[in-house]
Amino acid sequence: MTETSVQTSAAEPAAKPVSRLERLLYRSEALRGYLLMSPTLLIMTIGIIVPFLILVTMSLWTRDGFSFDATLTIANYLRVWNEPIFGALLRRSFWISGVATVATVVLCYPMAYYVAFHVHRNKMMWIILMTLPFWTSYLLRVFAWKVILGYEGVINSGLQGLGMIEEPLSFLLYSKSAVIITLAHAWAAFAILPLYVSLEKIDKSLLEAATDLGDGPVARFWRITFPLSMPGIIAASFLIFIPTTGDYITPALLGGPDGAMIGNFIQLQFGAVNNWPMGATLSIVLMLWIAAIALVFLFITRQAERRVS
Amino acid sequence: MPNFAIFGGSEEALTKMRGGFVVDVSHPCNQALPRWVSTGLFQQIDTSRLSNWGNVIPEIIDLPGNAADGGNVWMAPFDWGQTSVTYRTDLFEVEGEESWDMLWDKRYAGKLGSLASGADAWWCGAIKAGVDFDDIASDEAFEKIAAVMREQRPLIRVYTDDTTTLEQALSSGELTAAMTWNSSAVLLQSEGIPVKFAKPKEGALTWVCGVVIHKDAPNVDRAYDVIDSLLSVQTGEFMIGEWGYGHSNIKAFDKFDEATLQGLGLSKRPFEILEAGHFQQPQTQEWETRMNETFEQIKAGF
Repeated sequence: MTETSVQTSAAEPAAKPVSRLERLLYRSEALRGYLLMSPTLLIMTIGIIVPFLILVTMSLWTRDGFSFDATLTIANYLRVWNEPIFGALLRRSFWISGVATVATVVLCYPMAYYVAFHVHRNKMMWIILMTLPFWTSYLLRVFAWKVILGYEGVINSGLQGLGMIEEPLSFLLYSKSAVIITLAHAWAAFAILPLYVSLEKIDKSLLEAATDLGDGPVARFWRITFPLSMPGIIAASFLIFIPTTGDYITPALLGGPDGAMIGNFIQLQFGAVNNWPMGATLSIVLMLWIAAIALVFLFITRQAERRVS
Repeated sequence: MPNFAIFGGSEEALTKMRGGFVVDVSHPCNQALPRWVSTGLFQQIDTSRLSNWGNVIPEIIDLPGNAADGGNVWMAPFDWGQTSVTYRTDLFEVEGEESWDMLWDKRYAGKLGSLASGADAWWCGAIKAGVDFDDIASDEAFEKIAAVMREQRPLIRVYTDDTTTLEQALSSGELTAAMTWNSSAVLLQSEGIPVKFAKPKEGALTWVCGVVIHKDAPNVDRAYDVIDSLLSVQTGEFMIGEWGYGHSNIKAFDKFDEATLQGLGLSKRPFEILEAGHFQQPQTQEWETRMNETFEQIKAGF
């Protein structure tokens, strides 16, 4: 590398003088790569790594009246480990967003499937139509569900109008199920798009081959379509499960006392309870749990995929 | 129009201001005042700059921790009132006298609502548990209050800091009774909903709130303008007539006859009302934190 560049510059003495920086850039591929990535790296550093380090440091502090005691200690982590409330809230959050994830993927799969296999013209329009609800704000969608599920809401007044119930159903709102229903709807776009992409990619000749070899539609789906759409299912599950576990506004508005999730408790630590170090600790514990669950999920799906192929 | 930042509870506002959020004026209540002042986030109010100061009822200026240097104050009292039970007279059958027991009535499980902030709910729990506010900081009081709050929790449909949620639920019949401030009952009555703001036999929870100026307030002159207008007779008449809150300007009461005031649970002599109920008392930061922590755990089911 060094020799060639020396030779070129010697062979072309008339060429413009090249600055040291340019020469360095020309020689080092890694440097060029980092330079290209520098805007992203900068944002990652300022927006993610630095705040994360602050969060980790703060989680090792403790509250001291109005201020913080900056002696490093793992007392907060021990509290999370020892007091049952934190474990219970985490389990409840994982349960709620787990069910919401499964519900969303199951409900969105047929939609994505239909567009991928049975729509031949204006596919883009179908996709846009399916994501149309997501053009309104998240908060508005949550409020809309409050109106739908409410005591005098659409469902209750509809059922009452049909004479099917006498008293409005009170379990619809302020419950875990209200949170699950809302999350399953609010995050649907994040399932439809990856599912559609992975279904669209499936080579149709594989399906024809399966039919030729005697598979019925059901067997064909389970042996060809479903395994090949696995990447989309995994992506959709991650995209929904990870952010919904920490969701805060949906349980705050629709959860009632029994539907509160870990996100609400973290918010309280930074608000009324006034224990920022504990809030930081809970955020990190949540992050670690999500990472662990994601790894296990990934491992299981990998194993399953290997067995199929 | 001033810009408003609205919080679920004053504790949240204080946390945000401690985090660097700067406002001109904010609105705490007497129970939080000494703690707010001790954060050093606020400046004294020069009462000579307020044209309405002469008409402010002296008893509600003279609150613990309010006196600053040379006749100045930290908080200009603005509103006062009660936290009590608003209930549907057609849906809630009162057994005997009105009482805090109404919010612990198992017959209406799942049809009761509560304010979510411990600054109201915990104190109401203390009244229900029979804890004297002078002893509210003792360990024994904590246990007693926590026990009644745990007992109440399965009966509560929703804890919220959003009074509109409680008002709408009361008006639809989703709730038959809820812990509210004066205004919810007055608003619902004006819409023709049969509700009553109870006068519990144990006494209601009473408080005085006011306005303080941030030490780095960017618009001090306007802050004084806002405070002066909040203390004016016109504001007072609106507060009393439309919302049913007590006001700090004595002249604001002149427009209303004794019967109307009584119906609203108000009086020209605020301390008659405040003392008849249980008047909130300032507590330490440790108490406040411990209370909020305990109450949040109870609300989450522990």
